[in-house]
Amino acid sequence: MLSSEEIIRTVEMLKNENLDVRTVTLGISLRDCVSANAEDLRVRIRRKIQKHAKDLVSACDRISKKYGIPIVNKRLAVTPIAAVAESLGREDYLGVARTLDQAAEEVGVNFIGGYSALVQKGFTKGDRILIDTIPEVLSSTERVCASVNAASTRAGINMDALLLMGQAIKETSLRTAERDGFGCAKLVVFANMPEDNPFMAGAYLGYGEPECVINVGVSGPGVVKKELERALQSGKKLTLGDLSEIIKKTSFRVTRMGELIAREVAQSLEVSFGIVDLSLAPTPTVGDSVGEILQCLGLDSIGVPGSTAALALLNDAVKKGGAFASSSVGGLSGAFLPVSEDLNLSAAVHQGFLSLEKLEAMTAVCSVGLDMIAIPGKVDASTIAAILADEMAIGVVNHKTTAVRLIPVPGKEVGEKAIFGGLFGEAHIMEVRNMNRSSAFVTFGGRIPAPITSINN
Amino acid sequence: MNDWIFVSIIGRDRPGIVASVSRVLYQNHCNLEDLSQTAIRGQFAMILIASTLKEDVLRGLRTDFQELAKDLSLDINLKIIKPGELAPYDAGESEPFVLTVCGEDRPGLVYGITEVLAERGINITNLDARVALIGGKQEYIQLFEVDIPKGLDLDLIQEKLRKRGQEMGVGVDLQHREIFRAINQI
Repeated sequence: MLSSEEIIRTVEMLKNENLDVRTVTLGISLRDCVSANAEDLRVRIRRKIQKHAKDLVSACDRISKKYGIPIVNKRLAVTPIAAVAESLGREDYLGVARTLDQAAEEVGVNFIGGYSALVQKGFTKGDRILIDTIPEVLSSTERVCASVNAASTRAGINMDALLLMGQAIKETSLRTAERDGFGCAKLVVFANMPEDNPFMAGAYLGYGEPECVINVGVSGPGVVKKELERALQSGKKLTLGDLSEIIKKTSFRVTRMGELIAREVAQSLEVSFGIVDLSLAPTPTVGDSVGEILQCLGLDSIGVPGSTAALALLNDAVKKGGAFASSSVGGLSGAFLPVSEDLNLSAAVHQGFLSLEKLEAMTAVCSVGLDMIAIPGKVDASTIAAILADEMAIGVVNHKTTAVRLIPVPGKEVGEKAIFGGLFGEAHIMEVRNMNRSSAFVTFGGRIPAPITSINN
Repeated sequence: MNDWIFVSIIGRDRPGIVASVSRVLYQNHCNLEDLSQTAIRGQFAMILIASTLKEDVLRGLRTDFQELAKDLSLDINLKIIKPGELAPYDAGESEPFVLTVCGEDRPGLVYGITEVLAERGINITNLDARVALIGGKQEYIQLFEVDIPKGLDLDLIQEKLRKRGQEMGVGVDLQHREIFRAINQI
């Protein structure tokens, strides 16, 4: 029996608290498309994507209307192209990227992830080619997203890869200079990259995943914030433990909604249901910000002392509520701090509250990484590689996923803004201190060995 | 032979009504099979179904209930129900939805919405109306639980309801019941 209170509360969440499904991502395995002939490979890829994804958008629209829940993005994730195109040459890799772009457009999705390589232990020929082609691919296609796993707790940190990625990031930004380096918004470097992440730009279909699978990312910062505000306005004396409970229960509701939608889309497409990613994913909309949640928790702004502790509380509560709601939780399931996708974060940078160093500290307890951070165009590749290395180290040592999505903005400096638009918003350019002081370290190359904690049998 | 009796009771709400009604049933060898009661703004309403194995209880029941009605200032009516009439309304193959109507109260609101439902053979299984805080404002909100027959075009119904809502200056949403259960119930 539904009570009227339950109905009213749900309606409130949907109408006024920005509750929605942030992404429904269909993973499609391209393993059976592998061919030594480039043309054949492209035809197979396009055919397979069309076959399995042609009804994705319409199914999502129909189910979205049935439940009154907006599904903001429909996306695709495929097997890492470094493996799929392994036996082919450089030009063929570019051709595959164009095919992915085209196929994604044909089925009506806005991004396709999986132009990826896993190089935490070393490179294959295909890996090197893929990495080399990333700048060209990201500047000449619209929908393709690229990701590279350069480190893992088991393997350590591949510094050679980080050097290459530092250069790739710079070159991608230069090739998309007229859009403020936007190409880099489609490129992520990971440690411990998850195989079922539904969010871009890091979504790809892992090797142990089924043929076709639906993974879902829910949103919810707005909902969490409203619930906290309601409790704070009630006049009761609340402790951090009480606030944590409220976040936990809200996360339960949000996750339940995500799973319901995911299962129904999967059933409708006759594919497997994979996971719900619990991450709180903000948007540039006012009220839908992780930074605002921290302000509710009593901090003047994200970035001030206490931010790391507050974020740890938030992230943990979200995970507990989500894990109770669904036994199929996966992906990143952390708190996102995408600086240019969160109005509040971007403002915090501009006002001087939030620095790169503080963001890095916060990734140690919860947030998934240094995300959507616009930096001055003049930052050199070796400094970028060193920033990548720091973030990889946090992930590797703490047995968690960390990632970096940096956007050098050609020709712009601290104090200026990079403007990307849409879900990608705009960002104040963040200061990178101590540039040009790390090149000797990173150019040693080789692999930083895996931590002792990885030997846990 | 089993007789099935349908009784309706309305009147001012106060303690003792259900006790008195069930006493009358007991004294007339009737078994209370099912009942539903509610109270709005101090007015009480109850419907119940009773059964009996004894012959010819109706006259005694009527007399006793007439007396009770007079004593307690209630409106009590009863009638015999044939067993065939006891089946609940069969909506056929249908899906449960929740319709929410939100906005300022005004005359004709319930009629405006329910007319659209009736036209399409959509049955209302539950209905509630109250004032609630939505988006920081006090809004009058009506909640209908309805069964929508499987063959109907959901898009069309949602569109029709939304349009009707617009004409009346209220917001109308129609969502499958499952989302409310998933979000609120363990």
